[in-house]
Amino acid sequence: MAKIEDLTDVVKRLLAEGKVRSVIAYETSLSGGKARPVFLKKTEDAARLTWDPTCVHNLVRFVVDEKRRQAGRKNPDPRPVGVVVKGCDSRAIVILLQEKFIERKDVTLIGVSCEKTGVVDDRKLAQKLAGRKIVKVEFDGADSFLVSTDRGPVSIPAAEVLADRCRECPAPSPVIFDVLVGEKAERAVPQPFGSVERIESLSQDEKWAFWEGQLGKCVRCYACRSVCPMCYCDECVADTINFAVTAETTAEEKARKIKWLEKSPTPSENTFYHLVRAIHLAGRCIDCGECERGCPVNIPLRLLNKKMEKEAKLLFGYDVGFDPDKPALISCFRDEDPEDFIR
Amino acid sequence: MSEEFEPKIVAFLCKWCSSAGSDLAGVSRMEYPPNVIPIQVMCSGSVSPLYIFSALNRGADGVLVSGCHPGDCHYIKGNMYARRKLALVKKLLEHMGLEPERFQMSWVSAAEGKKYTQIIKDLTKALKPLGPQTKLRRNP
Repeated sequence: MAKIEDLTDVVKRLLAEGKVRSVIAYETSLSGGKARPVFLKKTEDAARLTWDPTCVHNLVRFVVDEKRRQAGRKNPDPRPVGVVVKGCDSRAIVILLQEKFIERKDVTLIGVSCEKTGVVDDRKLAQKLAGRKIVKVEFDGADSFLVSTDRGPVSIPAAEVLADRCRECPAPSPVIFDVLVGEKAERAVPQPFGSVERIESLSQDEKWAFWEGQLGKCVRCYACRSVCPMCYCDECVADTINFAVTAETTAEEKARKIKWLEKSPTPSENTFYHLVRAIHLAGRCIDCGECERGCPVNIPLRLLNKKMEKEAKLLFGYDVGFDPDKPALISCFRDEDPEDFIR
Repeated sequence: MSEEFEPKIVAFLCKWCSSAGSDLAGVSRMEYPPNVIPIQVMCSGSVSPLYIFSALNRGADGVLVSGCHPGDCHYIKGNMYARRKLALVKKLLEHMGLEPERFQMSWVSAAEGKKYTQIIKDLTKALKPLGPQTKLRRNP
């Protein structure tokens, strides 16, 4: 089990030696119970660190933001930024390296292994506790969580509150890291694409009825785009104005620019937006589940991205996020790629 | 008196093969359904998935993407990239619940005017019983 003391030691050492400009990690939030992201800059801050099953966030998003911030500085700090990564987060780093958005020397990766379990699903846990307030959540052995509540501790089997993505996770320990806390673990996943297969078993009409209902809820807040570590494009088709407007841009130029989709949350436009997002994340989404967690109306967005991951695996034998030297999924091909759908 | 439904097909044809193939069908006076709206693109590899979604969004009942046969691409391997990218688009559209017939891909060389007319005929025939595409369409 990844111990908090080990993690604190690593972070403390990195900060004391001044090898990193800051460490992006988790701390316990002020209201208690759940973890929240934190930027640690001073050696004494390391004591605030936490590592427990509520560390659900993918901190790689902050690496993307940090990269942008540094690029905008007059005197950028040449030191790398430290970041705590779980298995899924480390794969996000692999994708960013693959796409050359960051360089390996830009980051110091402190890997933590989820080993046999993973992180909790906030919604499942809240439902399970039925109104009791969480004080602390801890790993309890290999397959259960110990939840301290305001009305005493409860031990919950991990399978009941584990996030869906963790149940289908192919690599619970980081695939790329500088320091690893905890042990490298292999985990047998009986149904790596179980959730997607449930949708696939439906008829075309049932599928559409399902998605129409789900995407109809979308309010187009773009939270899924904001939390996604892969959504770092400077211009996005979903924005009304998706090109740089300067004082010299004429009204005619603005009018001539293609507007791919409307901003209004109508069913057709929502479907369009989510199709575009899914296809743009094909071969890039590493299933950290942040889009789904961030969604205020509970759209199961993972089911779209996971489907693309499944097809990448089945059609092209492509494993997403394991090898930083491999080209991206759609910027390579094999001669034997399937073409049975082509006349 | 209700008229028979006529599907609207948007065809993205690559400049070097499929577009020339459709030209050949035209100058050879081969007959094929007038339901197709051809759009010439420089390469099937340049067809962004966005084009396909957008066509369906703006009222197409079916979309055809056609390029050179593997190995014949004017840009050496553009059609190989297209094959991979559009396989994903097809799977995604099916996953969303759109009828699989609505998106078709084909290889048509500049000499295959006959094959082009056959593809359009078959596609039109397959789309007719499905009726208008309303799932992705803006303000149906």
